[in-house]
Amino acid sequence: MAGVEHCPTEGSPGSPYYFQLSYFTIYLTKGIEILEYYTKVPFYHVLFEAVLVIWIYRLITSKTFRFREQKIELTEKEEEELIEEWQPEPLVPATPTYDLDVITPKVVEGKPGHTLKIDDMECLNFATFNFLGFVGNDKIEDTAIKSLHRYGVGSCGPRGFYGTIDVHLELEERLAKYTRTEEAILYSYGFSTIASAIPAYSKRGDVVFCDKGVSFAIQKGLVASRSRVMWFEHNDMEDLERLLLEQKEKDEKNPKKASVTRRFLIVEGIYVNYGDIAPLPKLMELKYKYKVRIFIDESASFGVLGHTGRGLTEHFNVPIKEVDLVSVSMENSLATIGGFCCGTTFVVDHQRISGAGYCFSASLPPMLASAAIEALNIMEQKPDMFDDLREKAKLLHAELDGLQGLVCEGSEESPIKHLRLLEQLETIDDEEDKLKEIVAIALRNGVALTIARYLKDDEKFLPPPSIRVTVNVQLTKEEIKRGAQVIRQAAEQVFG
Amino acid sequence: MKTERGVSIDNPNESWLESKGTWFTYVLLITLGHLVILSVPFLKTSTAWTLTNMFHNMSMFIFLHYLKGTPFQTADQGKSRRLTHWEQLNNGEQFTGTRKFFTLVPIFLFMLTSFYTNYDGIHFVFNALSLLGLSLVPKFPQMYKVRLFGLNKY
Repeated sequence: MAGVEHCPTEGSPGSPYYFQLSYFTIYLTKGIEILEYYTKVPFYHVLFEAVLVIWIYRLITSKTFRFREQKIELTEKEEEELIEEWQPEPLVPATPTYDLDVITPKVVEGKPGHTLKIDDMECLNFATFNFLGFVGNDKIEDTAIKSLHRYGVGSCGPRGFYGTIDVHLELEERLAKYTRTEEAILYSYGFSTIASAIPAYSKRGDVVFCDKGVSFAIQKGLVASRSRVMWFEHNDMEDLERLLLEQKEKDEKNPKKASVTRRFLIVEGIYVNYGDIAPLPKLMELKYKYKVRIFIDESASFGVLGHTGRGLTEHFNVPIKEVDLVSVSMENSLATIGGFCCGTTFVVDHQRISGAGYCFSASLPPMLASAAIEALNIMEQKPDMFDDLREKAKLLHAELDGLQGLVCEGSEESPIKHLRLLEQLETIDDEEDKLKEIVAIALRNGVALTIARYLKDDEKFLPPPSIRVTVNVQLTKEEIKRGAQVIRQAAEQVFG
Repeated sequence: MKTERGVSIDNPNESWLESKGTWFTYVLLITLGHLVILSVPFLKTSTAWTLTNMFHNMSMFIFLHYLKGTPFQTADQGKSRRLTHWEQLNNGEQFTGTRKFFTLVPIFLFMLTSFYTNYDGIHFVFNALSLLGLSLVPKFPQMYKVRLFGLNKY
């Protein structure tokens, strides 16, 4: 027993100490001595181990749980009330509540190019985004058909999973060359291009400064990013600077947080919902002043703005390298399906593993990629059509000036114009009905128009109702004048 | 009414800790580490045990309770960017098997250490403080997402 009272010294041959025997041997042979040994343990230690044993017990018996579990606990009375309140709806309503234009659809025949054949009537097309008139272009069609014979319809897989075909690589190379960037990445759907690109970079805890007039695709991208969005008034640079300053003050107060927060600025080249151009020089100034990364969605401005159709950056003579990312939907000017992002290699390459639309969607059907290549060929061969398009857009803008009861919104050079009501009516539906009347009268006179349609419940900031007039380069000056005249007369008829 | 939230996104940064092979390897590593320390000639057995315990508690603190984020991109839009490894475990679910196991190991290690240090007072102070401060208290559900004094917050 003597050995127990002092600290054990290892290997001392004389002491019959338990360190030299195995624990179990001692337990079996000198169990009583062990008990006595334990009585020498200091009291605080016993207490501490007792607490640990209790903690072990609690640990083992605790059930798993999650924080912030959403529990709805209802009393019986409340439950009964809810059951009482519930009125079952018939699967099919007795009287359909659909819009009139859903019940009496207009049938468009043929290719929606220069003209539209609506219900057997040939109309001038002022309604689709076919700015360069590539829909129905024989050359593009031939190329697409050739590609179809060679590759078949689908590509049968995402780009990273047996879905890459040589035309995809060729198109990416051509797009990068055309936009004068280092690299381009191809998406198979225009909407998902920017909607995937935003969440690939902007994450939880990051800040996005975004225009209130952006398209639905950008809004969805922002939702998916889980970032904090600071909305500034449409094209209002003072409001943007106010928000940037607000963020700057916040960052100065908390530099640790600021060092891990990324800041993005997202705008559109030509706003599809407003028809005006983003003031890029001012945006670039703010970008460098407040250190934000700028993304531009050029879906409506690619192939429209700039002397050679290279978009917003060419329009304002800003080097495209200063813009962090440009995203373009190929469904407007290029008249095919899909979209692309372009920029520096290290920025664009990031999307190849984290762009959801790139990783998880089957790649663009090869024939559509071939069509895009052919469209690029035409854009390179005929660089004067962009000036022509802008001239026609200016002409239409001038012709639509001073309509009765309507105001033409949008930039002169933009091929998208929005005709909005001068005076507000009681409800949005009333306003839309008025505009639909004008559209119907114009249609009877051989001019196809459309009101701008939105998913009203899902839009973050619903733009006021409007007739969206678009120009395509195939319309002659006479046709544009005739179209404007028809709209003028229709407006007079409705508001007169 | 209880709503169960299924988790569809796998976080490969933490899911490997759930496998039994990892648990076995972990215990094996502690044993090997202890044997290495024990083989240093001038260290007493008791000191070797205390060193093992403290090294274990310290590495547990650094790897489970200090380092945040994941070494690769996860599909959670940066949710784990501000979470320590321990907080990422089982997607934040408390008292799961994995969490219980990784709490029990340091406690048992402390008990073994106490035994082999012969319940010495000085050894106790080092062992108990490192156990509580570095291993046990940070594992309390009450400490979930808590950053003391704003340290290591961002």
